[in-house]
Parts: sequence; structure tokens; C-alpha cells
Amino acid sequence: MNTLMSLAQSIEQSAIGTAIAEGRYAFPIIEGIHLIGLALGVGLIFLIDLRLIGVFLPSVPVRVLHRQLQPYVFLGFGIVIVAGVLLLVSETSTVIVSPPWPFKAMFFVLASANALYFEFVIARRAGALPERGPLPKPVRYAGIASLALWALVIICGRLIPYIPHWT
Amino acid sequence: MNLIEWLQSSWLSHAIAKANHMLVASLQIVHVFGLILLLAPLLLIGLRVLGWAMRDQPLEHIVGQSRRLSLVGLLLSLTSGALMFFSAPLHYVANWAFDTKMTLLMAALVMYALLYAWKAEQIRTHAMLARVHIVSAITLWIMVSMAGRAIGFV
Repeated sequence: MNTLMSLAQSIEQSAIGTAIAEGRYAFPIIEGIHLIGLALGVGLIFLIDLRLIGVFLPSVPVRVLHRQLQPYVFLGFGIVIVAGVLLLVSETSTVIVSPPWPFKAMFFVLASANALYFEFVIARRAGALPERGPLPKPVRYAGIASLALWALVIICGRLIPYIPHWT
Repeated sequence: MNLIEWLQSSWLSHAIAKANHMLVASLQIVHVFGLILLLAPLLLIGLRVLGWAMRDQPLEHIVGQSRRLSLVGLLLSLTSGALMFFSAPLHYVANWAFDTKMTLLMAALVMYALLYAWKAEQIRTHAMLARVHIVSAITLWIMVSMAGRAIGFV
């Protein structure tokens, strides 16, 4: 833990870490960008998930929605990840000791794995799915799983400043 | 006693302020989900109206469904935001980022309400105006969010 903490402190004391932490508006601006990237990346994934569940755009085929939104989802994730890494670099030692952080990281890995499974397994079979109306149960469950996992990532992320320590 | 002082001394304000700080954290979380559910469908309308995505899908369907979903997001963010405001109105009104956010919010709400005036046929005939409208609406909501993030820092 001590090695991890000293590593965290050296990341935080890097030129970029101190620049963000000491700049008056850098931190809130990057946080704002993190939030907007989230609304684009995760927001559009939510729309696809709601389509899979069957409550949004029921007459748009899943393969169309997925293929057309994909570049914007990637753009959103690019923004979220770059901004998120910058925020982490500026306060590494504070973030890593906060209890919600490991959970956020875990749910992020699970949500990403689920997204890759969707990309490489479900979406490749999307041509075989019905164009309109309700989808087969496993596909609806995949939508629910994605929605729940990304929601957990966001919940844990927002809890970081509210639960700073384990005890 | 002015309205803000009256609000601060109200039962609701005391109840939220004195509750566990996890209540405010929960309101913050709902506020973020509200923003996502508001903004993502507006982005979808924007992509469709600008012709950047879903061009071969019916405009009526995309715009109608997206407006309905974004309304859910708007209600979630307005309710959670109002409750957070009630917890410490005197603190918020003294914050310039909050004032900026409220001014931008008024403009964003007007733009949002006007989105409901469009019929699919009019979007087709007045394509340029529709594009300017949706881009301004999205830009205003982005500015509202950015100003909102600044509240805790000024």
C-alpha cells in the first residue's frame, strides 16, 4: 500500500498533475468535459440498451441504430477517458483511497467486457434479429446488463467525493 | 423576510440539510442521470436533423420518441436540482456559477420547449432553421452542465 501511495503521489506531483490541481478552473472544466463525454458516450449506449429492452425506437432495427451511433459512442468514450485520466492524475492519492473507486474500476471493466461481447457476438448476429418489435430474451437481458453496469460506474464515480475513506 | 430566507428556514430546507449527506449524494446521482437522459436523446435528434446519422430512418419516429425520453431526463434533473437548491438557497444564490447556470437554464428551457413546436414536415421544409435550433439547444444544455460543475468550485 505504501509503494502504491508513493507511486500515486509521484503521479500527482507530475507537471500535468500539479498544473490541473493548482489551476483555478482547470479541474471543474475537465470535470465538465468528463460529464459531457459521458452524456455522449454512455448516453448513446443507454439509447441502444433501451432499444434492446424494447422501450425506445421499436421500429428502428438494432443493427441500424448500433452501426450509425457507433462512431459517436467512440468519440464520447474518447472524451470521457482522456478527461477522466487527467482528473485522476491531478488527485491520484485522494481518489485511490476512496472506497467507491475500486468498485467504479471493477464495474468499468465489467461494462466494457459486456460491450465487447455485444460488439463481437450479439451485434454480428443482429442481422438475424427481428427488425421491429420485441427482441429475444437474451438480447433484452444484454440491454439490461449494460444499462445496469454503466449506471453502477456512474454511481460509484459520483460517490467518490462523498465517501473519501473506508473508516 | 425575502423569499430565499423564507425558503432557507422552511421545513423542507431543514429536512434536506440535516439529513445524512448521502441524501445530497443521491440527489447528485439522480441529477447526473437526468442530464444523460435529457442530453443523449437531444444528441440523437441533432444527429438525425443534421443528417449525420439515421438518415434513412423516419424523422417522426426519431424526433417523437427522443423528445419523450428527454422529457423524463429533464424532469429528473429539475426535481433533483430543485431539492438540492432547497437544502441551502442562501448559499446557492451567493454563488456566481449558480447565477450563470440559472440564466443559461432559462434560455435552455425556452429552446427545449420550442423543440415541441416542430412537426416532421416543417423540419424537412425549414431544414436550416431546424439545424440551428437543435444545435443551439444542445449547446445551451452543455453550457448549463459546465456552469453546474463550477458551482462547487467558486
